[in-house]
Amino acid sequence: MTETSDSKPIVEFHGVSKWYGNVIGINKLTLRVPAGVTGLLGPNGAGKSTFLQLATGQLFASQGQVRVLGQSVWNNSTINRQIGLCPEQDAFYEWMTGWDFVYTSARLAGLNRPAAKDAAARTIEAVGMTRHQGRAVRGYSKGMRQRTKLAQALVHDPRVLFLDEPLTGTDPVARHDLMTIIQRLGSEGKSVVVSSHVLHEVQSLTPNIILLNHGRLVAEGNVRDIRDLIDKHPHQIVLISDEYRKLAGRILEWDDVEGVRILSREQGLMVETRQPDAFYSRLPALSLEDGLAIKEVYSDDDSLESVFKYLVNR
Amino acid sequence: MKPAAIADVTANSFDSPADRGAPGSSRLVSLWTVYALTLRQHLHGKRWMVIAGMCVLCAGLVAVVRATAPDVPSVELEFDIAFMFIPQAILPLLALIYASGLVRDEQEEQTLTYLLIRPIPKWALYSLKLFATLTTAVLLVVMLTLLTYVAIYAGGGTSFREVAPRVLRAASIHSLAVVTYCCLFGLISLLTKRTLVVGILYVALFEGLLANLPFSIRLATVVYYTRLIAYRTLTFLVPLPIDPSRFNDLAAEVWQFDVKTDPGLVDHPQLHTCLIVLLAACAISTLLAAILFSQREFHVKTPEKS
Repeated sequence: MTETSDSKPIVEFHGVSKWYGNVIGINKLTLRVPAGVTGLLGPNGAGKSTFLQLATGQLFASQGQVRVLGQSVWNNSTINRQIGLCPEQDAFYEWMTGWDFVYTSARLAGLNRPAAKDAAARTIEAVGMTRHQGRAVRGYSKGMRQRTKLAQALVHDPRVLFLDEPLTGTDPVARHDLMTIIQRLGSEGKSVVVSSHVLHEVQSLTPNIILLNHGRLVAEGNVRDIRDLIDKHPHQIVLISDEYRKLAGRILEWDDVEGVRILSREQGLMVETRQPDAFYSRLPALSLEDGLAIKEVYSDDDSLESVFKYLVNR
Repeated sequence: MKPAAIADVTANSFDSPADRGAPGSSRLVSLWTVYALTLRQHLHGKRWMVIAGMCVLCAGLVAVVRATAPDVPSVELEFDIAFMFIPQAILPLLALIYASGLVRDEQEEQTLTYLLIRPIPKWALYSLKLFATLTTAVLLVVMLTLLTYVAIYAGGGTSFREVAPRVLRAASIHSLAVVTYCCLFGLISLLTKRTLVVGILYVALFEGLLANLPFSIRLATVVYYTRLIAYRTLTFLVPLPIDPSRFNDLAAEVWQFDVKTDPGLVDHPQLHTCLIVLLAACAISTLLAAILFSQREFHVKTPEKS
């Protein structure tokens, strides 16, 4: 990140490797993540989750040093007051209500009752879950669960936030809302590290990205340079909807769509486009059209994988 | 975009101390919340059904014996159920059911992450979860003991004044045993993924077989010390059928305490020694488990890997 090289790093990895037996999760990684919003990008298996688990002190580096806010993170529970993590796994205390889950997270972070109540109410409101806070988490949709996970990460007002694939599986409206929240956090001065395997998502949040592949740092810098490469490859996006055939008809009307494949088994369709930005920007409006509710959007990362291969081999 | 490069990483380059807590935050609150959360988890689990079954089983066994052999003295029934069946079968199973899931459940349900990312030292996290489990187990054991004694003595003509101290002692002995088992199984659950199998083998071979051998090896079992505490604090004298004026010391006979040559059992540990041994076993296994837990990584399977 050349433009911020003067600023003090939020996260520092120095010669860090992480092995799971014979499998390498992270391979001799050295980097500094500056303050602000940073995208951690890479295909599945690139080492993004391992990176975040090392940065949040859940894993011990097999080699090298991991520091957050200047402190070693392994077995340093004190640093956790300053860290918030929205994990990738869709796990909750399912019997709790959304309110209870966020309030309990605040209490686990050490907030006293009045402070925890205030913080939970404020955070739940910030992620747009106030209306549903009294329902059990087990009945939440994917988007609601992601919002609730984000709320528990924010509830103790951390300085650094690690968000592991926070947009995966969400509907277009939730995706838009979550992106707005993350952008707002950045503008409020929080440092946020967002992992994703979808370049488009990260680009909408920040120009600063870190590219990982096979546990190695492939590149870091401005996202525009990466986009030039990725736009040479068709971008594949999967949409899930009950009215997927009707949806396919509507989408084929768009000029930037190069192809649509029906996925009957998933009740969805795979769209190929070379202009993912324009495509994504039209999705929320389309999803609100009568009978076309899009339940889930995700990007198949084959196209991204080919870009990584290109970057690694060039 | 610049290629990956070795960055000049300097230690302690961030000068704002990271241990600034949020206003109104305290570690005690975090610890209390872990304790309360674990208690609530135990209340929401399906283990209740198994535990309820165990309670019904004990009371049911008493009812069956009462129906089929009405002449059996209450003390004998108490000995068989409350001091043979419960300590040797029910308590280890109850402890195994709760302690084996102490960490494993949260790991499998992937909720452990929410605890590991809080400002709580790992050793304290384990200790608090164990303490909540012990609270649950002790409460259940006290209820189980009460229910069993009600089934044994209700309508039998024995006065409440006579039974109450026995119930109190039995509940205390059972509680101490279940606490010890929980601490041991908590440690085992961190040493092996097959806690249930190892636990059942331990109960069957160690506490079942070795504890019943009249050799020094039984000094390494929990059952031996609980029996000795029971023997030193309660009497299990049953009138002989051929001469009701003479009594048979049921506990000494069944537990193979040689009271003929050693009436005071001076060759066996005294009451306070038994208590110290069991409490020391709890403390050591908890300490070892807390150290293991604090040094262990809990790698979370991500959806892509699972």
